[in-house]
Amino acid sequence: MKTPSQRIYLIGGNNKAKLLARSLTERGYTVAAINASAEICEELALIPHLRVYNGDGSLPNVLDDASIHDADIAIALTGKDEDNLVICQLCKKRFGVKRTVALISDPRKTEFFYKLGIDSVVCEVTSVASIIEQQTLMNEFSTLVPIGDGRIKISQVPIPADAPSVNKRVMDIKLPNHVIIGCIVRGEDGMIPRGNTVIHAGDVLVLISSDEQESSVRELTGRESEM
Amino acid sequence: MPNKLSPLLKRSAFTVVVGCGRLGASIANMLSDEGGGVVVVDQERESFNKLSASFGGMTLTGDSTDISVLDEANLGAAAAVVVVTGNDNTNIMVAQMAKELYKVKHVVARLYDPARESVYREFGIDTISPVVLSTREIRRLLQIEERGDIEENV
Repeated sequence: MKTPSQRIYLIGGNNKAKLLARSLTERGYTVAAINASAEICEELALIPHLRVYNGDGSLPNVLDDASIHDADIAIALTGKDEDNLVICQLCKKRFGVKRTVALISDPRKTEFFYKLGIDSVVCEVTSVASIIEQQTLMNEFSTLVPIGDGRIKISQVPIPADAPSVNKRVMDIKLPNHVIIGCIVRGEDGMIPRGNTVIHAGDVLVLISSDEQESSVRELTGRESEM
Repeated sequence: MPNKLSPLLKRSAFTVVVGCGRLGASIANMLSDEGGGVVVVDQERESFNKLSASFGGMTLTGDSTDISVLDEANLGAAAAVVVVTGNDNTNIMVAQMAKELYKVKHVVARLYDPARESVYREFGIDTISPVVLSTREIRRLLQIEERGDIEENV
């Protein structure tokens, strides 16, 4: 297996930083952590192959001392949205880091962060809500991954035996233009559907849609979408 | 939620001052004394005690990084926003929210850290740093003294 060559900096955070540091170093990435808390730094230092710097990552000189300009990816994990914004902006604009990721707690600021040039904005509340939704509505139609501020959705739709799409070819189902069936999960197998693929009862369809998700769910399962 | 402030504010140009510490209160008092409309925002109600008895503007208690609080302060109609909370990163974010989300023309932010200050000035935010201003002023005073010394020696 090729060793990943990307250098990743984790700035701030406690448990998330530790968990990510472990998982990324184990996968072979070159990882460094910058943390304002000396106590957390000591705990981070126990993780093998992790470089640890103690300091406030929203200060340019701290980032400089940690050689942040070597980073390919910087991930800001502090508990404060404003700190994560400043960390990412400094990394990107001052130190030329290619990719910046900011964790935020206020979902209403997602778009604003993207507007200011942050490459990825991860909203804790939104992500957790979507996972809970996915876990609790396992058998219903559910959104797996919202992309682009939720405008594009990847969702799974289980096909019951009485669904109008059962035993129909994909090409014969009237799906709106904004929806495609990306994948069909049948038992243990996943398959990419062609026009002549026939849908079976018990299939789980993975839909990619930018709009009109509800009407396509009705078309496929005969049920009203609960979303 | 109905906006209680906006009908009054729309009539004339007003400034929103975010953070009612010593600097924020001083700016708010000054603007109010000059007859301008002022809205002061601070998380702590007690902070408004620093405003002078003659202060004629409005006060709003709330977290200035919260979009609904900025909406209530009617930032979109403000002629200028002065961001002077005690936290540099809060000031940076609120200043950029004022510029990007509310399209406020004049936004000034106070930043304590001179290194961050120079970076954000490059990003197009009007920033002032007390350290830089004080340093400059002290240098000016020293130069005047030096010149005085030289003149005396002549």
